Amino acid sequence: MKETFKLALSQISCERGNKTQNLRKIEENVIAARRQGAELVIFPELSVTGYTVRDQSYELAETIPGASTITLAEIAKRTRTHIVFGLPELSEKTQATIYNSAVMVGPKGLIGKYRKMYLPTHSVFEEKRYFRLGYEAAAFDTDLGRIGLMICYDVFFPEVSRLLRLQGAQLIVCISASPAIRRTYFETLTAARAIENTAFFAYVNLVGIEDGLQFWGGSRLIGPQGKLLAKATYDDEDLVIGVVDYADMRSIETFVPTLRDLRPELFDKLKEGAEKL
Amino acid sequence: MELTLASLTMDYEDVSAKIRRFIKDYVERSGAKGIVVSLSGGLDSCTVAALSALAIGGGKVLGLMLPEEEAHGFRDIEHSKLVAKKFGFKTEKVDITSTLKAFYDSVPIFDASENVCKGNIKARTRMVYVYYYANRLNRLVCGSSDKSEVMMGYFTKWGDVAADISPIMDLYKTQVRELARHIGVSKPIIVKPSSPALWPGQTAEDELGTKYEQLDLVLYGLEHFMKPSEIAEQLKVKANLVDRVKRRWLSMEHKRRLLLTTKLEYRTVGTDFRLPRSS
Repeated sequence: MKETFKLALSQISCERGNKTQNLRKIEENVIAARRQGAELVIFPELSVTGYTVRDQSYELAETIPGASTITLAEIAKRTRTHIVFGLPELSEKTQATIYNSAVMVGPKGLIGKYRKMYLPTHSVFEEKRYFRLGYEAAAFDTDLGRIGLMICYDVFFPEVSRLLRLQGAQLIVCISASPAIRRTYFETLTAARAIENTAFFAYVNLVGIEDGLQFWGGSRLIGPQGKLLAKATYDDEDLVIGVVDYADMRSIETFVPTLRDLRPELFDKLKEGAEKL
Repeated sequence: MELTLASLTMDYEDVSAKIRRFIKDYVERSGAKGIVVSLSGGLDSCTVAALSALAIGGGKVLGLMLPEEEAHGFRDIEHSKLVAKKFGFKTEKVDITSTLKAFYDSVPIFDASENVCKGNIKARTRMVYVYYYANRLNRLVCGSSDKSEVMMGYFTKWGDVAADISPIMDLYKTQVRELARHIGVSKPIIVKPSSPALWPGQTAEDELGTKYEQLDLVLYGLEHFMKPSEIAEQLKVKANLVDRVKRRWLSMEHKRRLLLTTKLEYRTVGTDFRLPRSS
């Protein structure tokens, strides 16, 4: 396993409903990132289809593995990279039950997937109308360390990143489609999730305008001490390289030992409180 | 799912009752004194005017006939009067030719050979008239767009589709025909080729490139999330016909969802203000 490597925050806009074009753009960005030495390339939430596809979600959804995952796994193999991307995942057991999923593929094929646990259904969001909730945190062993996946609104719920960290994730990857008016929340919360877990946190957001929603970009890699290690531009497409060095985790784990100081007995009280809310 | 004309069959007594209840309830809640319908003499507007009269009484329904010299036939006026007489509502005729000419003459870049631009002026001018009548008489504008037209975007933005309520907008054209038959709209109105009558010789099926019987089944399949390949196979039509209909349906969403803005603030008109209608 590598202790240090480069990753790419591939902040793209998507053409809604046009998987061929989006996959082509993902491939181009993977190649460009690889040329700059990146071994992990991260794309936004639902990057294969675009975010605001509404009723088209049903026809765009694919199983994992399915055509898009296979295509991207081949690209990963050919370019010797790891790729994280998002797509509406069709359950293998049904014809119209779909999840908002993040997928990781690598040089050896499919590594794993994560089904979004917190689906925003308020304000401009209507995810519960289309997606079924996921139930499991997802961290995977890779040649680039143990990597956990989460999606967008999950960042508002510290338990998701905490679960990933407790599963051993050293790098937490959060793919997102966040509209501009929420920027300050995400800028604050992404740093908080890195600090409270003493882990690397890579956040990749969508850009472009879909249905009047302007996605703000601002993708970033944050170190375990909360330091901004790499940051993409706001509002426009960008490809930014950041360096992960897991050795940085040791010093911060001694300086702010949040994992050592966890109090599991409080979690029972949290559960009780949440159930009685 | 099996896709045949039987798929489109409905209980038209029930449909008629639901639409009449909807119209009556909406007019009563709004406090308006009645309804104005832009009455072209075609299937949709005649059916809507008839349903309105059945719902709230013919005395509260005005069928506004807005002919113009270029494309409106005398038979359309005849059909409008026929349905008005049968369902007991009033009509009024205003020839809009002089208004159109004044518009054409006043616009430096006007080009009479541009049929679509010119046709849209007619549809939007009719909208101005029908809304004036509604304002003046404290009534509502009742629209007569059907589901086939709206899904295909086969209407003029801010023109014929503009209305306070659109009671038959969830019925495909072939279903409107059956509903019209059921409530007793006269046969000549039901069987004549559908046309927006924006220029001479214009027919809807020519412009849409397919018969409504076929189009409605394609749309019905798309509505029910069928794959284009399945639809083409079942209807024994070329895949590119279904693809073309699907592309047009999707690309016309901008005509169906108006008032699009970009999100800048906490709650946004047309996006996440989800307020109940007051009437």
